[in-house]
Amino acid sequence: MNFFRGVIGGQQAGAQPSGVETIQKLCDRVASSTLLEDRRDAVRALKSLSKKYRMEVGTQAMDHLIRILQTDSSDSEILGYALDTLYNIICSDEEEEQDESEDAAPVKSKNVAAPEDTQRRQEDDIGAQFSERFIQEPENVTLLLTMLEEFDFHVRWPGVKLLTALLKCQCAQVQGIILVSPMGVSRLMDLLADSREVIRNDGLLLLQQLTKGNAAIQKIVAFENAFERLLDIITEEGTSDGGIVVEDCLLLLLNLLKNNSSNQNFFKEGSYIQRMKPWFEVGDDNSGWSAQKVTNLHLMLQLVRVMVSPVNSPGATASCQKAMFQCGLLQQLCTILMATGVPADILTETINTVSEVIRGSQVNQDYFASVNAPSNPPRPAIVVLLMSMVNERQPFVLRCAVLYCFQCFLYKNQKGQGEIVATLLPSTIDANSISAGQLLCGGLFSADSLSNWCAAVALGHALQDNLTQKEQLLRVQLATSLGKPPVSLLQQCTNILSQGDKISRRGSKVQTRVGLLMLLCTWMSNCPIAVTHFLHNQDNVPFLTAQISENLGEDERLVQGLCALLLGICIYYNDNSLENYTKEKLKQLIEKRIGKENFVEKLGFITKHELYSRAAQKPQPAFSAPEHMLFDHEFTKLVKELEGVITKAVHKSSEEEKKEEEVKKTLEQHDSIVTQYKELIREQDAQINELKEQMCTLTSQKDQMQNTITQQLSQIQQHKDQYNVLKLKLGKDSGQSDSGQVNGLQLEELTLLREELEELRKQHALLNTQLAERDTLIANLKAEGVQSPDGLTAAPENTELLKELESLRGQVQTQAAEISQLQRERQEVQTRTEALAAVSGEAADLTKVTELENRLSAQTAETNRLQEEVRSLTESRAAMEKERAAATSTATILQTEKSKLQQEVAESKKEQDDLLMLLADQDQKILSLKQRLKDLGETIEDEDDLDARDQFDDDDDEEEEDDE
Amino acid sequence: MAYAYLFKYIIIGDTGVGKSCLLLQFTDKRFQPVHDLTIGVEFGARMITIDGKQIKLQIWDTAGQESFRSITRSYYRGAAGALLVYDITRRDTFNHLTTWLEDARQHSNSNMVIMLIGNKSDLESRREVKKEEGEAFAREHGLIFMETSAKTASNVEEAFINTAKEIYEKIQEGVFDINNEANGIKIGPQHAATNSTLTGGQGGQQAGGGCC
Repeated sequence: MNFFRGVIGGQQAGAQPSGVETIQKLCDRVASSTLLEDRRDAVRALKSLSKKYRMEVGTQAMDHLIRILQTDSSDSEILGYALDTLYNIICSDEEEEQDESEDAAPVKSKNVAAPEDTQRRQEDDIGAQFSERFIQEPENVTLLLTMLEEFDFHVRWPGVKLLTALLKCQCAQVQGIILVSPMGVSRLMDLLADSREVIRNDGLLLLQQLTKGNAAIQKIVAFENAFERLLDIITEEGTSDGGIVVEDCLLLLLNLLKNNSSNQNFFKEGSYIQRMKPWFEVGDDNSGWSAQKVTNLHLMLQLVRVMVSPVNSPGATASCQKAMFQCGLLQQLCTILMATGVPADILTETINTVSEVIRGSQVNQDYFASVNAPSNPPRPAIVVLLMSMVNERQPFVLRCAVLYCFQCFLYKNQKGQGEIVATLLPSTIDANSISAGQLLCGGLFSADSLSNWCAAVALGHALQDNLTQKEQLLRVQLATSLGKPPVSLLQQCTNILSQGDKISRRGSKVQTRVGLLMLLCTWMSNCPIAVTHFLHNQDNVPFLTAQISENLGEDERLVQGLCALLLGICIYYNDNSLENYTKEKLKQLIEKRIGKENFVEKLGFITKHELYSRAAQKPQPAFSAPEHMLFDHEFTKLVKELEGVITKAVHKSSEEEKKEEEVKKTLEQHDSIVTQYKELIREQDAQINELKEQMCTLTSQKDQMQNTITQQLSQIQQHKDQYNVLKLKLGKDSGQSDSGQVNGLQLEELTLLREELEELRKQHALLNTQLAERDTLIANLKAEGVQSPDGLTAAPENTELLKELESLRGQVQTQAAEISQLQRERQEVQTRTEALAAVSGEAADLTKVTELENRLSAQTAETNRLQEEVRSLTESRAAMEKERAAATSTATILQTEKSKLQQEVAESKKEQDDLLMLLADQDQKILSLKQRLKDLGETIEDEDDLDARDQFDDDDDEEEEDDE
Repeated sequence: MAYAYLFKYIIIGDTGVGKSCLLLQFTDKRFQPVHDLTIGVEFGARMITIDGKQIKLQIWDTAGQESFRSITRSYYRGAAGALLVYDITRRDTFNHLTTWLEDARQHSNSNMVIMLIGNKSDLESRREVKKEEGEAFAREHGLIFMETSAKTASNVEEAFINTAKEIYEKIQEGVFDINNEANGIKIGPQHAATNSTLTGGQGGQQAGGGCC
């Protein structure tokens, strides 16, 4: 409070003393009056005094006013007065006016007179003090936020203004309070939707303050569709032709997007880049650009640049660049570039914007290379722009912009670099039209130091990281003056360096020399051929050493440093192809003429220069004044890279160098050893492969083997199983004898026994039938044996023989009967003859005798025949008899067999009897066991009984069979 | 680039449950094994197709840490869908669901579709929350449920797409007021062009911009 009074005392001494009293009275009324009207009047009165007696009203009435906000929220009128009053004490009108002028013309505000400045600062202090008091209670800000929900104009408008003023004074704190109050930001975003333009426009100003430097709020505002709404407002207001509202929208958009990658991504993903394109559709009749339009376009271009800034992540920038090409935004910008009547300010910014839209993007760079200026004949835009760069009459910022554009065009663009260098080469030179190369050479050797510098840097960018172009450019020869042999471009550059003093130049000599030295450094770094080319001229090294060793003034320090760098490059990238200027000799030269320490110190002059770090910050060449144009961004990178290695290279003694050589040699040896080993490895590899193949086949074989093994194993297993089964069977068989020991096994054993019995019975039946057969056979044999010894029944042929025998026997009998008949006839005849002889003559006798003799002879012949027959028959009979003997022998064999069988049967019968005995025993045992179980009280009857009964039945059957 | 609808999503849930990983898997189809703490919110977007219609999803991945809670609350109101994520290997993240749900219901519009997600389903051996528990919680609170793995990408697409389907159905049923962008839904430029022919030249100009 004392401080406030002190300020008043100083400022408003002698002003109506009644003011303080009146305010006191009004405050009392506000605090104590029960009537709303009274309070309202009092607040209104306070409001009217608040501008004149800002300090008094602020110190005395603030608490009362805040209380009004809390208690009288139903009456919008009193709220409005209270808010207005608070606004007046926190932010004075004068200040606001000044603020606006500051926004519109930033340059002018810098020149505000000193006394005014101090007064303002004091008032700012007052505003800051009061706002600090207001926000001491965060609830006050929350209360203010709820006020903004009130639709009434008299509340909402002053509310917006008050909050804006608070944000202006205590930005971070108020932001913090709004951020944590639920829906705080959303409520403020609703202001943009207000149909009353005043509120919407003041809402824009509020949001501008709100989003300043607070990424979290920026994101929420974006989330609340800020981009959509702002772009809509810009369109509604007529884009660049719109008024200050468009400017405010653009400023807010810039706030939301600058350094906020999340929002940039959202902006891109929301396809808002496409909506920027129409902004740049400016007609060709560009006469009469209003200041507002220039401002608007300026901000629009800045917005584009924010999206593709080199400081953004490369991926994000690349995707935005792509979008800008695809939607035609880049093309639109290039149209502005080539249009006539565009204010230099806008043109410069457009060039800068195009630069960043094409930087590092091959597609965009290719498009840019194809753009032609609408001149007659049409010239490439690049050429037209370069013309401006080397034109002294063009504004400095424009020339810087063109240089930036050219750099961006060549950035990571080998194709573009090649095209530019090609315009200088003798084979492709076109004498009729102006080429980029010609313009650059012209700039390099013009009398204007700025052109020298720009051309040198531009040419340097055509060589950046491109060995091919560095070598190509060595081919360039220049015709200096008539009658003299052509000079190479490289030599010409050094010539200008060494003879610089002879030519009178506009601008600074240092600038030219720095530019040329940077070009030479860029050219020769990482290019031994260029180094050799440079060293080839006997004058160059002495010039450099002279420059470095001389004790020159402050201005020349940078040149000395650059000369040291160039000499360092000559050492570091030296391939020792020139005998006089090998690495070693150059080092000795430094040691003798300059001294190592001195050399390194001079080299350090470059990075120690005040402008060096500024250029290292960002790629755009932006210089506050032409004389500050000394360093190129890419060159600072090169220096950073080389300073260390050159220092190291120079410091290395010859011994160390030798050591290094040795190391190199050993390395080479190692290399040869390594190659030997490599070969060995290769051989071994082959071997390994062979072995692998072998292994493959072996493994497949092994697999096969394993298969067979498993098969065999399974077979074995099967056998084992079978064996086990047999064993089990055996066990059971043996177990039968002592069965009954285990009750559980009895049933099983019984069934087994039954089965066995069945088998035995079958065997028995079979044997019986066999026996029966044998019996019949034997009976037959016996019968035959008895009936006829000749007759044999054993074999089928016997029956045939028998039949034959029978028939023969029949014949024999009939023949015997004939024989006996014939004998009787003979006897008859003999008796007759005796009687005849006795009775009749000799004649009669003779005839009869002859007749008889004839008969006799016939009969004897017959008998002979018959006798023959009989003989044969007897023979056959003998054979028959033999056969019969054989048959009888077989019969005896059969009979022995039969007896054997009979024996077997008897045996089996005996076995059966044994088994039956066993069964009987077992049954006995079972019965006894059952009895015992019964005795023990077990009831197991049913099944066991049944089984037992079955058992008995079986036994009966067997007995019956036996009987049979 | 043209889309029929635009839906705004938010992803919420305890810190370290894999919200950012889910988003990265969905938008970039890759997995980031190193836990990089989200500061405030991060934005991501992708186009999907539902019912033959192109739908643009704009997703705000929020920080799970308590200190960012007040900031992330600002995103509830403007979202049409929310993925509420817990970690199946951390019981506490499941236990906090009620708090998250209360917060979401309190600050969001009543029609917001909430998808409950049990993430890290690839870590079956370390599971602390049964799938059935998640299902039961979802049933009880009227949420859609799914178990996902941002690491293996299992169900990640489905989680985002099913949420979109639910919103789409709600639009078809007329539950959402699609003309109020505060609901997190926007009609695409094509549709807007046909819808706003009556609003005059300005709409046409806008559509012209959208076409390019």
